[in-house]
Amino acid sequence: MWIWPIIGSLLGITVGIVAQFQIPLEYSKYVAMAILAGLDSIFGGAAAGLAKKFEVKTFVLGFVFNIALAAFLVYMGDKLNIDLSIAVIIVFGSRLFKNFTKIRKLLLNFNRKEDII
Amino acid sequence: MKKTITSIVLMSLCAALSFTIVLQLKSVSSFKNQVQNTQVMRAEQLQSELTKETKRKDELYQQLLKHNDELAKFREEAAQSSDYASFLNKQLEEAELLAGLTDVEGTGVIITMRDSPLYVSGSAGQEDLFIIHDEDLLKVVNELRDAGAEAISINDERLLSTSEMRCAGSTVSVNNNRYAAPYIIKAIGSPENLEYALRMPGGVSDVLARWGIELAIEQKDKLIIKAYTGVIQYKYATAGGDK
Repeated sequence: MWIWPIIGSLLGITVGIVAQFQIPLEYSKYVAMAILAGLDSIFGGAAAGLAKKFEVKTFVLGFVFNIALAAFLVYMGDKLNIDLSIAVIIVFGSRLFKNFTKIRKLLLNFNRKEDII
Repeated sequence: MKKTITSIVLMSLCAALSFTIVLQLKSVSSFKNQVQNTQVMRAEQLQSELTKETKRKDELYQQLLKHNDELAKFREEAAQSSDYASFLNKQLEEAELLAGLTDVEGTGVIITMRDSPLYVSGSAGQEDLFIIHDEDLLKVVNELRDAGAEAISINDERLLSTSEMRCAGSTVSVNNNRYAAPYIIKAIGSPENLEYALRMPGGVSDVLARWGIELAIEQKDKLIIKAYTGVIQYKYATAGGDK
């Protein structure tokens, strides 16, 4: 079950290295925010998977929605002359850290019945 | 079935995300390189062009001096070979004297102008009133000429008919060279006439003294004023006119 994400990542990395395509400068900021949201979703999914609570629908919808929302917020912020990218960074960044903590706890408690850490 | 779907979904999403990450990394790094390169390149380019031009200017100037020496030697020899040639030579010398191309000596005055010491640091924004401007230099030179000065130099820059005395920031540009206070003005003429013209009541000295700019005037029996050391090039004026 864990092999698929890894295979997918390797595939994506190879295609990315080979591709001659470059992200146009104007979109660079939005793509960066989208990447952040995507990472958060993936780690959220990983945490859910470790806790045996993984659900594909939630995962996929969350992934797509978060990415769209992040890019849209930053875009709106540019139009409104307010730096909403800060909100996106803080929220998704803190969620990333929360998920890391969850994953750590789950990994360390894998072989035990009770919470030790 | 569910597991297959999950696997496929997971794989494709991870692939998409990692693909985007790699692309973004590549784009950002190449963009940063471009920007840095153009900035650094431009500064380096300008710097190297500047050094090249300065070197060229120096070389050309050395060549000019060499040619002038050769020319002077030829003239000397020519002057000694016939009367007509020596007559022409004398005319040429006089013309050069009037044009400012030779050193001259005679009686005259040396004037030293310093910025006003009255300037008090409390009155910010008023410094402008207490430093020497190009108009002050112009006034002094004008007065000297009116009093019969035959040759004038400012900080050893000989004033020709085409010489400017112009403000350039906090300095004054004379013959395209920048100078700052104190300004040493040498003038050859009748020492008394030159000094009295400047010290006239209500004249240049008084007007400048109001701002504390002092003129120190020293009469001299023998004063040497150096020749003009630049390049003279008349692009628009040619000999002609009504005969």
